[in-house]
Amino acid sequence: MRMFRKSVVLALVVLVGLVGGAAARKYEGVTITVFTQPPPYIAKPVMMFAPDWEKATGAKINLVTAPWGELYPKMYASFGLAEALFDIVIFPAAWLPDFASAGFLVPLDEFIAKDPYIQWEDILPIYRERIVSWEGKVYAVPLDGDCHIFYYRKDALENPEYQAKFKEKYGYDLPVPPKTWKQVRDIAEFFHGWDWDGDGQVEYGVVEPRRYAGQADWCFFSRTVGYVALPGQPGGLFFDPETMEPRINSPGHVRALEDYVEIMKYGVPGMINMDSGEIRSVFAAGLAAMAIDWGDIGVISEVGEESTVRGKVGYAVLPGSDEVWDFSRGTWVKLAEPNQAGYLAFGGWVAGIAHNSKHIEAAYDFISYLSRPENSYISVTTPETGFNPYRYSHFEKLSGWIGMGFSAEAAEAYLKAIKDTIGHPNVQPDLRIPGQARYFEAVDRALSRVVAGELTPKAALDEVAKIWDQITNELGRDKQLLYYRLSLGLPPK
Amino acid sequence: MGNLGQREKRLLISPAVILLLFFTLFPFVFTLALVFGKVSFIGGKIAIQFAGVSNWVRLLHDQRFWNAVLVTLKIVGIAVTAEYCIGLVLALLLYKKPFGCGFFRVLYVVPMLLTPIAVGYTWRMIFDVGRGPITGILQRVGVNPIGWLVDPNIALYSIIITDVWQWTPFMFLLLYAGLEAIPKDYLEAADVDGATAWRKFVYVIMPLLAPPSIAALLLRSVECFKIVDIIYIMTGGGPGQATESLTLFGYNVGFRAFDLAYGATIAFSLFFMVLIAAMFFTMLTRSLRAIRLE
Repeated sequence: MRMFRKSVVLALVVLVGLVGGAAARKYEGVTITVFTQPPPYIAKPVMMFAPDWEKATGAKINLVTAPWGELYPKMYASFGLAEALFDIVIFPAAWLPDFASAGFLVPLDEFIAKDPYIQWEDILPIYRERIVSWEGKVYAVPLDGDCHIFYYRKDALENPEYQAKFKEKYGYDLPVPPKTWKQVRDIAEFFHGWDWDGDGQVEYGVVEPRRYAGQADWCFFSRTVGYVALPGQPGGLFFDPETMEPRINSPGHVRALEDYVEIMKYGVPGMINMDSGEIRSVFAAGLAAMAIDWGDIGVISEVGEESTVRGKVGYAVLPGSDEVWDFSRGTWVKLAEPNQAGYLAFGGWVAGIAHNSKHIEAAYDFISYLSRPENSYISVTTPETGFNPYRYSHFEKLSGWIGMGFSAEAAEAYLKAIKDTIGHPNVQPDLRIPGQARYFEAVDRALSRVVAGELTPKAALDEVAKIWDQITNELGRDKQLLYYRLSLGLPPK
Repeated sequence: MGNLGQREKRLLISPAVILLLFFTLFPFVFTLALVFGKVSFIGGKIAIQFAGVSNWVRLLHDQRFWNAVLVTLKIVGIAVTAEYCIGLVLALLLYKKPFGCGFFRVLYVVPMLLTPIAVGYTWRMIFDVGRGPITGILQRVGVNPIGWLVDPNIALYSIIITDVWQWTPFMFLLLYAGLEAIPKDYLEAADVDGATAWRKFVYVIMPLLAPPSIAALLLRSVECFKIVDIIYIMTGGGPGQATESLTLFGYNVGFRAFDLAYGATIAFSLFFMVLIAAMFFTMLTRSLRAIRLE
């Protein structure tokens, strides 16, 4: 009998515990649909953190993915419905102006203000204040910090024998890392077409994407920023913030495009047909002395199983130029130090909530869970998530990076290059106005025609300027000007 | 079934008809609306505003469109002709049932069974100017590497070679089946008359092979007009605009620049081109039938 009583009491305790536990789970029965690109990149962190969040909240995460080309139209289709197909959309920050200006996203300021876990101030200001905000409101939470950095082979550029030969040939010390694109050109020429690492294979000067739809447009702007982003003059990279006149065909842009074409002579064979994914594996295979990329080359080179360059890679902010085009005076300005303004290419992946979601609170809770410091640190230090650091805390601890496979020295250098780029006082954000994809497509098209020899740099950029004007007129010049100024942090005119 | 009236018959097939209409007519009408419209996004809703023929005017003045038309026509003209000729030769070789005929019949068909994406990646690696096997072989015999996919003057032909490699088996299969269907009496009668192999080919085989030939050419041309996957993987339409087909152009405009209305207009222009090609082959079939009846 005592045994029976004990069993009953125990069963009651368990039952109460279960009922109590279930009652404490605040989103029991709710299903949150998350939409982004297929795993591993970008979707992987959702898969990593969904089980724990589901256990804690009682909700379910339904991950839906689509290839890159289908993301934008499918998101738009869902936004247009009475009830959203996708509660959370994880998308490139460059699309935020399109979505926010059309009223497709839920403002998140109130949620963030009440959220003790997200630690908003830990996110770097450029991301929390500029990248995810629109007309003064926050519409998304950053999950990824994107900027282009410069990669070089330390074993080549720091080799004393090569340094002496370089000085003999070019009349100046081989700069490590290079500070101007002119120096990059010379170094690329020097290391092009011979076996400088003694592996029995011929190596080349550089590897950069040049393929249409292969993210070459971001590479072009990375090469342009030093020529046109004069400190104190906002908007040099894209439009005149007073008139919305395109600046894409300025002498600075033309010079950058001439460099962009010339460096191909010292590129890995077939570079004209390479996208950014391919250049990563080519660099990690040890075929090039220098490259431009997001944080991915660093991870693939230091952690990738097939990398032959582990521990041999140097990291730096993008090179720039001694001369910068002054838009206000219409002339080149010579600076004492090269202008190495960083460029937040792409701007990273962000998570927003659809305006027609029926589970806004639960959706925010999951986004917050993904972005909170401890979880996002795991995301940015796990291979194949596609997420790069964007919080102060991501740069503070090296343990995650070392656990990932970096050496302490490599991790420090890698993080420093990213931090110096993002924290540069003259860092240039990417284009963040409605129609961004159309403006960039026109540039991408022109670049591919220039590298194929169909157009000269000047003619191509003049054509882009015309197309940009047409797009601006079609979307409404005044509105676009207002949005452009806001994206630069300038007050409305 | 025999007892069913017209009404019952219609009722029974109506679900299939409704589904067919929904999945073909609705997208067609929607695309048509886009062709004469402009898509905008206001207050969280997608709106299509009437824009008259502005998309068509833009299309006719677009150099990139005319380039894509030319690229597509070149691919269709050269690739389909080559596929037909090679397919015919292979079919004639196997028609005589040589030793190993069964093995070769299966072997010839293999490329057609692969997905275009896999074919694209395979040939992209083969044609790679830096590390591809062709470059390796050429360098061993002292020949400079050829820019198969990176030279604007050659890239289109590399795409055509790949398409021919994948789709010649399709021609081969149809023509082989056509050859098998030729009554043996005709060929025996020609033998009795002392006709040479060439005369038998020209005066007996080819006329009897005309209907399957036209069917094969029509089906392959229609498919080839829509070529996109191989190009997307191998060159992305480049270098420059050297290999951008109409379908790829429409995809880039619609899904990279997100200019849906203009993308739909490009798709419609392709529809007209395919329609013209189909009408041409249908007329050809009718003419041949008329000649045979005479």
